[in-house]
Amino acid sequence: MTAPRPDAANGPLPIGPLVSFLRALRGGLDGGQGLAGALADSALALPRDARESLDAAARRLAGGYEEDDWGYDEEFADAALPFLEFMYDRWWRVHAEGVERVPAHGHALLVANHAGIMPWDGTMMGVALMREHPLPRVPRFMVLDWAFDLPFVSVAMRKLGGVPASPFNAIRLLEAGELVAVFPEGIKGAGKAYRDRYRVQRFGRGGFIEIALRTGAPIVPVAVVGSEEIHPKIGESGLLARLTGAPYFPITPTFPLLGPLGVVPLPSRWRIEFCEPLDLSGLTPADTADRALVLELSEHVRDLIQRKVHENLVKRKHAFA
Amino acid sequence: MPGRRVLITGIASYLGTELARILEEDPAVEYVAGVDTRKPRALLAGTELIDVDIRDPELLTRIPDTGVDTVVHNQIVRRPGAGMSARRAHDINVIGSLQLLAACGRTPTLRAIVVRGSAGIYGAEPAAPEFFTEDMARLYPLRTRFQRDVAEIENLFGTFARRHDEVACAMLRYQPSIGPTGSTQIPQYLSLPVVPTYLGFDPRIQVIHERDALDALVAAVRRPVRGPVNVAAEGTIGLTRMIRIAGRPTLPIPSPLFGSATGAAKRLGLLDFSPDFQRLLRYGRGVDTSRLVREVGFRAHFTTVSAAEDYAAARNTAEAAA
Repeated sequence: MTAPRPDAANGPLPIGPLVSFLRALRGGLDGGQGLAGALADSALALPRDARESLDAAARRLAGGYEEDDWGYDEEFADAALPFLEFMYDRWWRVHAEGVERVPAHGHALLVANHAGIMPWDGTMMGVALMREHPLPRVPRFMVLDWAFDLPFVSVAMRKLGGVPASPFNAIRLLEAGELVAVFPEGIKGAGKAYRDRYRVQRFGRGGFIEIALRTGAPIVPVAVVGSEEIHPKIGESGLLARLTGAPYFPITPTFPLLGPLGVVPLPSRWRIEFCEPLDLSGLTPADTADRALVLELSEHVRDLIQRKVHENLVKRKHAFA
Repeated sequence: MPGRRVLITGIASYLGTELARILEEDPAVEYVAGVDTRKPRALLAGTELIDVDIRDPELLTRIPDTGVDTVVHNQIVRRPGAGMSARRAHDINVIGSLQLLAACGRTPTLRAIVVRGSAGIYGAEPAAPEFFTEDMARLYPLRTRFQRDVAEIENLFGTFARRHDEVACAMLRYQPSIGPTGSTQIPQYLSLPVVPTYLGFDPRIQVIHERDALDALVAAVRRPVRGPVNVAAEGTIGLTRMIRIAGRPTLPIPSPLFGSATGAAKRLGLLDFSPDFQRLLRYGRGVDTSRLVREVGFRAHFTTVSAAEDYAAARNTAEAAA
């Protein structure tokens, strides 16, 4: 996932050091050392930069890394960043606006529209905040529960800052002063058909408003344009959904036709706009009892995001150009 | 002022014996009794042993006779295996609790009950709250036999507590324990020559060090509280990291095959992966411990990570010596 180093890419393969490294590694393993120990020792036979990355690998193999209580693994996230930045810069050519409107510290709730089957929109919002915010911060994003039932996806999501979408988790994170991203459309957003791609779906039962009122966190609406085209869903297979246990099984022009290649998202052009934080001052946790108010606020945020989606569609001009 | 009089069920277990030892030394405690049909792990000179099965109606006279003010229920079978069928475990768990409560109802001196229960009641779910608080026991359906047992036990004690206002009944929901003694499920799992995991899953695991498990029980006896209390170390750890700290190679198995693969491990007598444990290895579980800290006044000495490290260090020393 890291970009190739220029010297390594141009020069011939370092066969000599590689052979002595493999020899030392086998010696260490034959001598009864564990893999981690043998890797660390035999790395001495390699040039410095290769040695450093091997040391890091050996340290991780011995359990020498940190995860926080939510499973976020900073080292893993750092290692994945070049890849995510590639997707951000080259693949989707993301244009982010209003990043500075996200509070630099303290709790805040990012509320965004959701499309594109896989939770790419959450990760791209994260890259935007890491790269373009004056005080970069890592948002925790709420991920649809069934992603945590998928092999590999569950691990990657958690290590990058994903958290199972549960109001308890959102409240706990906000109370700890974190920045939390939610996608109130949920499964209805991720799985919308291609013809409905720019229509923001109903925002659940307005749970995110309750969460904001309960914790006093400001709401920052976010409009994402572009995720709608990465996996154009043209149909669904009920049978395959039942077989895989997924809530729905999408059929796109490339998936499942091309197999694993079909999960490569299409290179649409993206725009992400962070809007002005919503003014909820004057409201208290007790106001969550007022259903009408909660639904009204929720609908207001949905309308705002829908409007911003349309505005950004106009600004973007063409989806793939 | 007369001292406390305490009765401990399941006294032959590690926690039961160690708890009795601490209470014997405690000047505030004047009498300790233990119920178990097995022999305690160490000599308990100052403890009256009641050699009666917990399901035996004989308890109805034996317990009131002791005049105890505190009962520590430490006989909940956490997993079947080694001569313990699932049926028998259920019997001990539910009928045993029922019989114990019947005896408690006839003990007018009783003021406190402390149950060493299980956080297994929350289950292990893909989309669960990352930290269950005590009021979240019924968020998900009870999926396994053990979960249903724990729920039934909690119901029995909850009903008893409502009917006997003078008795403070604490339900301690323990996360799995880990430690050098290593007779529980996680240490046994971590000492397998190759540790099977679910391919593509790295759940958050939270444990409690066995010494903290004991100290928490002592703290709950000293300060009776009412209702459920989570008992766990601070923080969580990814299963992969825990296995790496333990220095074992992993064997990732695709989830559809996990059941049959671990079934083979069971037939080889290596380890019985109960359905509970399998779900834990796939989805993990974390609990919130603020009530333990605030109301029982107990904070675990080991974090989840340092408990795993302590276990690994102790095991490596033992293996080097062997």
